[in-house]
Amino acid sequence: CHSPASLAPRRIMPVRWSRYNPSYLEPEAKKESYQKPLEELTEEEREQMELKAVRPIKAAPPSLSSSVFSDPMISKFTNMMMKSGNKVLARSLMSQTLELIKRKQVEKYHKAPEKEKETIECNPYVIFHQALKNCQPIIGLSSITRGGKTYQVPVPLTDNRRRFLAMKWLITECREHKHRRTMMPEKLSQELLLAFNNEGPVIKRKHVLHKMAEANRAYAHFRWW
Amino acid sequence: TLRQICTTTAVQRKNVGASGPEKYTEAFIKKQIEEFNLGKRHLANMMGEDPETFTQEDIDRAIAYLFPSGLFDKQARPLMKHPTEVFPEQRKIQWGEDGRPFHFLFYTGKQSYYSLMHETYEKLLNVQKHQDQLIDQDLPVQKEKGNLAGSRWLTKIELEEMLLEKVSDDDYSRFIQLLQKLVSLPCADIEEEYIQKFSKEVPLQLQKVVIEPLQYDERGVAFSTGEGKRKTARATAVVYDNGTGKITVNGIDILHYFPVLQDREQLLFPFQFLGRIGKHDMVCTVSGGGRSAQAGAIRLASAKALRSFVTEKEVEFMRQAGLLTVDPRVKERKKPGQEGPRRKFTWKKR
Repeated sequence: CHSPASLAPRRIMPVRWSRYNPSYLEPEAKKESYQKPLEELTEEEREQMELKAVRPIKAAPPSLSSSVFSDPMISKFTNMMMKSGNKVLARSLMSQTLELIKRKQVEKYHKAPEKEKETIECNPYVIFHQALKNCQPIIGLSSITRGGKTYQVPVPLTDNRRRFLAMKWLITECREHKHRRTMMPEKLSQELLLAFNNEGPVIKRKHVLHKMAEANRAYAHFRWW
Repeated sequence: TLRQICTTTAVQRKNVGASGPEKYTEAFIKKQIEEFNLGKRHLANMMGEDPETFTQEDIDRAIAYLFPSGLFDKQARPLMKHPTEVFPEQRKIQWGEDGRPFHFLFYTGKQSYYSLMHETYEKLLNVQKHQDQLIDQDLPVQKEKGNLAGSRWLTKIELEEMLLEKVSDDDYSRFIQLLQKLVSLPCADIEEEYIQKFSKEVPLQLQKVVIEPLQYDERGVAFSTGEGKRKTARATAVVYDNGTGKITVNGIDILHYFPVLQDREQLLFPFQFLGRIGKHDMVCTVSGGGRSAQAGAIRLASAKALRSFVTEKEVEFMRQAGLLTVDPRVKERKKPGQEGPRRKFTWKKR
């Protein structure tokens, strides 16, 4: 799956409050990208490599690691779930969620007949990524004020924005619409499994947004960008 | 010419006031330069040195000797520098005696910026015309790969200094986009000179760091040390060869010292990246900072120590993975009039 940092193009205007000089590049922690032989690289990758050889590189943040268990999407989701800087709690909730997903899927696997055993996905990371992909909206709405009235105008969304909306919807759904006694991992795993099968309240919210955008098609020409 | 008998005070004031007022006239600056040169010769005679070969560094040393100052602010101490460094460069008055401006773009408000954009676009059209001519004559259009890695564009502040007028962020980004478009065309070599005015060399190969050789202790085991810091934490790590992968921090095993998984992951990051998890032993000491800062400091220290065990190529890979850079992020200070570094006090209507 595409990681957010690698797809973002370099900024024209640097971040105002960054402690780094704008010429510093993002670090790349994956071991595989350094083991590729020279011939396999495309033009862009070759230019990137040359640029990296000259420019200074930022320090890797504490959430980035070269281990197989660190996934940029999961780290982003954990950070969004975090409250008041309690990363330990957020991380433990995330790992409990993934464990619960695995348990549920393995239970289903053992109960299923022989023919269906291959279709059941047991890898919680695959389920997480697929569920997030299913939740991503294609088109969004933006409020534009014309002549005193505010219209909801359908607008294309960037990749980053889509990923962010999918994760935000999942988290708000799990926080608000759950029973007082259910734990967050349980509710999250439930939602993720539903989203993996294209069911559930988050997918419904996405469809509602698409329908609204379709209904407001007439105002699409208000967009000037 | 008709002599204006009754002029409004407003018109008179406008003629004198100037946009970007000329605080120092040319005559004044010339006089300052003459006085500076005279003073330089006097100073050289006073110090007993040759007036002809008296450089700026000698002047600074002489002034520091003759006027010793205990002030903390370096800029408050006595200073003797060439007037062009002391008085900032400024624009002369843009219009003549009759009130008619010299430059044809004066009434746009940003005359130098727009004239620059016009020039650059002219060069772009030139290049395109040249390209079309080459295609007409069926000559091959070669694309020379410029060194994009070795140069950078002028920053906004440098551009402002060059144009002697304020440039907004949008204008600056538009100018840079135009330059990039110019550079991306195949026959941009014609305008190489013009482009070089706006690009600067990036100092290549920033500080070749000397990697220390391995040291050997009494048992003949190779080891190397490294120091690291993060926020307020300072750490030293000693990495031994032929080990089992045991890591000790301040005499305590990492499993007890860092109960959080993320910190242990950070400690093992350099080893896992190089694929040497079970091969090295590590003994570290760390002080200051919090839980995560100490882990980051030890990570940097161990990465620096591992440089001696590993080939240069792998050192370069480690640098590109962000393992060898000191993290400059520190806690931002609290400002007066605000509750924290960013948070403002609650806004009360009355």
